[in-house]
Amino acid sequence: MTLKYVGKPVERVDARQKVTGSAIFVADIKLPRMLHAKVLRAGVPHARILSIDTAAAEKSPGVVKVVTGKGCKTLFGTCLWDQPPMAVDKVRHAGEAVAAVLARTPLQAQEALKLIKVEFEPLPFVLDPIEAARPDAVLIHERNGEYRRAEYSVLPKKGTNIFHHYKLRKGDVAAGFQEAEVTAEGEFEFPLSSHAAIEPHGAIVRFNLDGTIEAWASNQGPFVLRDVLADMFGVPTSRIRVRIPYLGGGFGTKSDVCIEPLVAYLASFVPGQAVRLILTRKEVFTGSFLGRGMKGRMKIGAKKDGTFTALEATLYFSDGAYGDTGWPIDTVAGHNCTGPFEFPHCRTDSYGVYTNHPPVGAYRGYGHPEGQLMVSRLIDMLARKLEITPFELMKKNFLREGRKNSLGQTITAAHGNLDQCLEAVREAVFSAPIPAPDDEYYYGRGVAAMMKSPKMAAHSSSVCHLTVSADGCFFLNLGGVEMGQGCKTVFAQMAAEVLRIPMEKVRIGIEIDTDHSPWDWMTVASMQTYRAGRAIVQACERAIEGLKANAAEVFGCEPDEVEYDGEGCRRKNDPEKKLSTGSLARGYIYPNGLTVGVPVDTSGSYRIQGVTDPDPESGTGNAAGSWTFGCQAAEVRIEKKTGKIEVLHFASAFDPGKVVNPQTCRGQVIGGVVQGMGATLMEKIEFRPDGNIKNANFGPYRIPTVEDIPRKQTVTFIETPNPEGPWNAKPVAEHPIVVVAPTILNAIRDAVGVEFYRLPVRPDDILNALAGEKKNA
Amino acid sequence: MPELKITVNGVAHRLEIEEGRVTLADVLRDRLDLTGTKVGCGVGRCGACTVILNGEPATSCTVLAGKADGAEVLTVEGVAEQGRLHPVQEAFVESGAVQCGFCTPGLVMRIHHLLSANPDPGEKEVTAALAKHLCRCTGYEAILEAVKIAREKMKKSG
Repeated sequence: MTLKYVGKPVERVDARQKVTGSAIFVADIKLPRMLHAKVLRAGVPHARILSIDTAAAEKSPGVVKVVTGKGCKTLFGTCLWDQPPMAVDKVRHAGEAVAAVLARTPLQAQEALKLIKVEFEPLPFVLDPIEAARPDAVLIHERNGEYRRAEYSVLPKKGTNIFHHYKLRKGDVAAGFQEAEVTAEGEFEFPLSSHAAIEPHGAIVRFNLDGTIEAWASNQGPFVLRDVLADMFGVPTSRIRVRIPYLGGGFGTKSDVCIEPLVAYLASFVPGQAVRLILTRKEVFTGSFLGRGMKGRMKIGAKKDGTFTALEATLYFSDGAYGDTGWPIDTVAGHNCTGPFEFPHCRTDSYGVYTNHPPVGAYRGYGHPEGQLMVSRLIDMLARKLEITPFELMKKNFLREGRKNSLGQTITAAHGNLDQCLEAVREAVFSAPIPAPDDEYYYGRGVAAMMKSPKMAAHSSSVCHLTVSADGCFFLNLGGVEMGQGCKTVFAQMAAEVLRIPMEKVRIGIEIDTDHSPWDWMTVASMQTYRAGRAIVQACERAIEGLKANAAEVFGCEPDEVEYDGEGCRRKNDPEKKLSTGSLARGYIYPNGLTVGVPVDTSGSYRIQGVTDPDPESGTGNAAGSWTFGCQAAEVRIEKKTGKIEVLHFASAFDPGKVVNPQTCRGQVIGGVVQGMGATLMEKIEFRPDGNIKNANFGPYRIPTVEDIPRKQTVTFIETPNPEGPWNAKPVAEHPIVVVAPTILNAIRDAVGVEFYRLPVRPDDILNALAGEKKNA
Repeated sequence: MPELKITVNGVAHRLEIEEGRVTLADVLRDRLDLTGTKVGCGVGRCGACTVILNGEPATSCTVLAGKADGAEVLTVEGVAEQGRLHPVQEAFVESGAVQCGFCTPGLVMRIHHLLSANPDPGEKEVTAALAKHLCRCTGYEAILEAVKIAREKMKKSG
């Protein structure tokens, strides 16, 4: 059947609210008797708290309460419970909260903060994961290894700062390297960075006097947040209500539980009054999550014909002061650092290491950019050694039908077609002759291939509720969070398709309310279209059945003698007998009031099938529910005088199965590429000698503006059917960021002959490298 | 308490302002409930809080309320007329330039001003105007497209 809405660009369901400034974000919410919180942050990266004097602050105008962590016994987490909501007797990073003021206005709270006196006993601090992993490093958590944890998944080394060690053991890596005739290796760094969603994190929490807790938050995982708050305060989950208003960009920084435990802890001191905390941008840098932060080394080997034989890697993640949000990234980076290639023998060790900076959480790509920076650069180097093109080398080793990935899972054709992706970007960027270097510029081209499989809980599911109204419209309710990616629009398109109704007849809730929205694991891992889509199809089909059952009662026949046509139901072979959807929505009401049938109200649900965490010994197992493959290529030019790097053309080709909405899908790719260019060419969290972040605001921390985008972007979608997804769709959202950095670094190598291993690469790095080369020559 | 006289979207207000660092963004959002103006950085670097202040674009998070005394301000709430989207807003909807929407009101104001001042700006002028705004979602491609669509719409509507 031809598709009417799936596969078409349609107007976003949230666009009008957003362009008019009517969309309500968390910072726009005001509640009666609401107090404003401001937080005193440590300012020292590692120290014991000797005393906190809050007496003067308590007397400051407008102040209702000053809160410290003294006596707080709570640790929160989802799989590793290692973090208090506020520092208790020591601070582990400079942005950690040590005290907070609750006042009538934000300015009053801010003024009172200045009156709090804290005495610290400074401790040595460590910001480098390799140093922090050494046996003699200062211990950031004395209780590492003793904390409550998910024991199958989180694997700490007691007495060290290593709170998680994932190891992958596939085949015999020594034998694999013996077989190898050529190898490439290097040490790499993917620095700490800021997600830089334009909306700062915010939360409002109120402890109601009936024993319930209400929260409004900028969070991608309302149901996980509900569980965490329930666990923290010993309250049944059902007595906690979390609401997510419009969300101003996530990229992972709002997927993990972040400032909400702090705000809830503060609110617990003033029952009946709501407490609101909106982070300043500076606090987003110092007091929320950072992303990435990997130092690693990798070696790959191949036979002379290019067949890969082995891969060995060690990754150290500087995961900051707390580990609950870092460990799954470390695991997935450990097994997916192979990229979309078959290595018969793999040995990787990925360490999650405590360090004295804000915790690292999910960031678009989730461990894949970190690991695949290494493998994609090494493949480029290996191709040069083998004197073949990177295209030939990649093609020879691509994961394809029948091959096994690092986890030992067998790839099928439905997982995607890398050859077609590669050909699309080759054609786009490499088919015309490259400009020869001129007086002003060097030119170069690079290519890389990526894979991503979502890291998710085994119970990763979505539910869709569907109601039908008397005007013939359908109302969809799902727990997936709209954070800009466009999931609600895609949901509406899918419902319109199954129900055979115009888009205007589908209404969908944007905001989430855990009391009224159906359960959804989290909005992470690019899963909503794929996972919720199946739930939507089921709910819609059940609604059609419900309408038919009501109509059958009116017609006095069996439901299978009734046909649904998008406008209503009719009796087969009897065109006279026809009833509209609206007239059947609440059961059918005769003119005299007599009613038959029941209101049509359905749900559908879907769980990703058969996923488990990897085996703790081998690191293998069915840990991925799906894959999406893609390739990227770039042409760059580098100004000889200044070292300025310009991306002239960036081409992306992904295989997301069916593209449900070409406009939003392209939007994901274009946006992901530019965000990846930020990481490649600009962004890095830097520290002062005292352990505070030096560039903690926009300006000093530069992210791409319109002046930094590629001259041209080409986007191609290869739509290999994936029967598991709705209309054959697969995840795509994080994917465009995964290998932007190695694609550009490979192009830079092509242009100037310099191998870069560390991000970002800025004009000075180019000039220094070129000057160094001349000196060495 | 300092007093502030200000006209916003054509409506005159007289307000008493809290002592301390109160910005124009605070006045709009907290006192006048015009929460369409967003605060993304507080230091005038992201452009989300852009409004039209006395005819010129300004980052309202860096304008102290006192400096806006007697001013005329246009915010995103004042752009749509009689419930109909302004051509710039329509262009954002059509081009796919809206993702998370947090930077959108500031950009709408910037482009509204750009095209009102010059119906046919050159590429450089457009880039220079948009470079004052950060968007982390779109990679700017669709926003550039929105400018083109808005330009055509505004020309047509004269």
